[in-house]
Amino acid sequence: MDEITNEMTDKMRPKKKMNKKTVASIKAYLFLAPFLLVFITMVIYPIALGVKLSLYGQRGARMWYIGFQNFATIFQDPRFWESFRIPLFLLTVQVPLMLFFALIIAFFYEKMEKHGGKLYRFIYYLPHTIPAIVTGIVWSYIFSDSMSPFRPVLDILGFSGAKILARSNLPLILLVIILWAFTGYTAFIIYSSLIAIPKAFSEQAQLDGATFWQIAFKIKMPLLKGVLITLFIFNAIGAIQVFNEPWMLEQLVILPSNYTPAMYIYNSAFAQGRFTYAAAMGLILALITFLISLYVLRNATKQILTGETQELP
Amino acid sequence: MLMVEYSYGPQFMDLGAFQPINRWLSEKNFRKLYGEAAMGWCAMDGEIYGTPQDSGAMAMFYRKDLFDQYGLTVPKTRKDFIEQGRKFKKAAPPNLKYFAAPIGNAMWWIGQVWEAGGKVCDYSDGNWYIDFTNPVAVEVFETWGKWFDEGTLDLEMWWNADWYNSLNEGTTAVLEIGCWFAEWLRYNAPDSEGKWRVAIPPQWNPAKPHNGMIGGSGFYVTSHSKNPEAAAIFANWLNSHPTSLKCLHNYSNLPIMVSTRYEEVIDEVTGPDAFFGGQNIGETLWDAHQLVNTTFVALPIMSNVDESIGLLIQDYVDGKIKRFADILPRWEREVINTMKEFGYSNVVIDKLP
Repeated sequence: MDEITNEMTDKMRPKKKMNKKTVASIKAYLFLAPFLLVFITMVIYPIALGVKLSLYGQRGARMWYIGFQNFATIFQDPRFWESFRIPLFLLTVQVPLMLFFALIIAFFYEKMEKHGGKLYRFIYYLPHTIPAIVTGIVWSYIFSDSMSPFRPVLDILGFSGAKILARSNLPLILLVIILWAFTGYTAFIIYSSLIAIPKAFSEQAQLDGATFWQIAFKIKMPLLKGVLITLFIFNAIGAIQVFNEPWMLEQLVILPSNYTPAMYIYNSAFAQGRFTYAAAMGLILALITFLISLYVLRNATKQILTGETQELP
Repeated sequence: MLMVEYSYGPQFMDLGAFQPINRWLSEKNFRKLYGEAAMGWCAMDGEIYGTPQDSGAMAMFYRKDLFDQYGLTVPKTRKDFIEQGRKFKKAAPPNLKYFAAPIGNAMWWIGQVWEAGGKVCDYSDGNWYIDFTNPVAVEVFETWGKWFDEGTLDLEMWWNADWYNSLNEGTTAVLEIGCWFAEWLRYNAPDSEGKWRVAIPPQWNPAKPHNGMIGGSGFYVTSHSKNPEAAAIFANWLNSHPTSLKCLHNYSNLPIMVSTRYEEVIDEVTGPDAFFGGQNIGETLWDAHQLVNTTFVALPIMSNVDESIGLLIQDYVDGKIKRFADILPRWEREVINTMKEFGYSNVVIDKLP
């Protein structure tokens, strides 16, 4: 029986193989179709349209081709470049701070595995499940003048007239909100890499007399470098494109239209009606984001490959 | 057709987004049906693009309970308005505000100048006129500045949860804003039912009573309209025919009182209002609207005008600008720069038609 089947399949193989391949591809595309459809109409097409728009001048409904003039204007538009102050602050302060906190929390998750670690993971993850706009609304209540839960405390401390949400406090408030929203989620991702590290490593170190924190920072952290770099890139992208939080807080405090690049792009398009210019700025912002990610990724890979992983705080 | 706020109408007209409807609604008829002032909101250089629906006439909303408690009388003049404020500040606990003007809201501040009988911009014979530092505007800003500096009045951001909360809780005694706000107050400050009353805004010059506006919207016929004749006739019927006015009053939340024919339905659509303690606010608001008898064309860059005053007033609040009236020349400079940036070469500066 076996021989016969083998013979049959051998004979039929060439033809059937091709068929199989085609069928498999068709099947694959069929399965991919829902994704591809959405991806092409919601991602590829808007980007292509954005590229096209960016090459046009516009006033009202009138549009005319101007080549790369919009891009030339962007390089001379101080308001666009000023808008990177907040992203830079977040990139240099919030992102490293959050990765650090998340790392510590992840170590605790692992340590507390048998003592309610699951519950903590759940609780810390919760803020991430709330849409940023809702987060913005709730935080704007928390920092509002008349309804803030901090108000009684501030009153007792003698700051009864003090405005919490002043323009100058906003970077710090953004920091708090973003840390609150993303630290638990980040810790969760780090934790999932952490448990993949073979137990033997830390057991060995323990036998050599290393403490918990020594093991954490000297043994485990270098092994987490890959995931930390990925998280850094994701959060760097988030920082450069920050929009929702300042957008919601704008209800309580006056902000310039170019407070962040994304806000400037939005306001240029929808408050000032300069859609084509906004499209060009959007492309430049995407390019900057891409370059930063590329830079971090290349440097980081180089470091990993050359083994410069020991010098870590 | 598009429903657009009056202050943003000129931007659409200027960009060619609306089409003139004079063929179906003559200037003479328009003036007869909507009054002279409405030409500033629906027309440019005599080309009529739509019809006005609701009024943005300024009205003074005040808390009768607080006025009674602290022995205040309803002010009829600006002088009395601030006298009552000083009295209130002396008697009331520090967490109560007499009145807080908006940080931002260009049309509110332009409305204040308008109320005093002035304007800061206009359009005529193909030119945009900008003069933010004319004597009336300066006087208004200097006077308000004095009141802020002495601490009788406050400045705060409007339209956020804090602000509505203060209106609901009764920590603000007076609010001056467009008469459409009556409905907003009803829905956003439900706990304050029965405590508010409405009055005509205190006058700068009681001998020449006058009022300005903030907001209000018209219906304009777009350039895309395939049947502009029908659109024009409908827009006119919608905003002036007594049957439609009655309907709009019953089903919309806006003070549909710009049409002169509102007089024919006013007795039917107004009456004692429980939210305002039984006051017939319809009549007061109608009186307030009658006092809007000058007009101007708003600039075609109102969102920029709005943004820049917000930042400038915030600078004043933060102590970066010392004199409130110093906002005006800076505001003007920013507005002129934006006009240039948007390619307007037909701008006449420091002059008004």
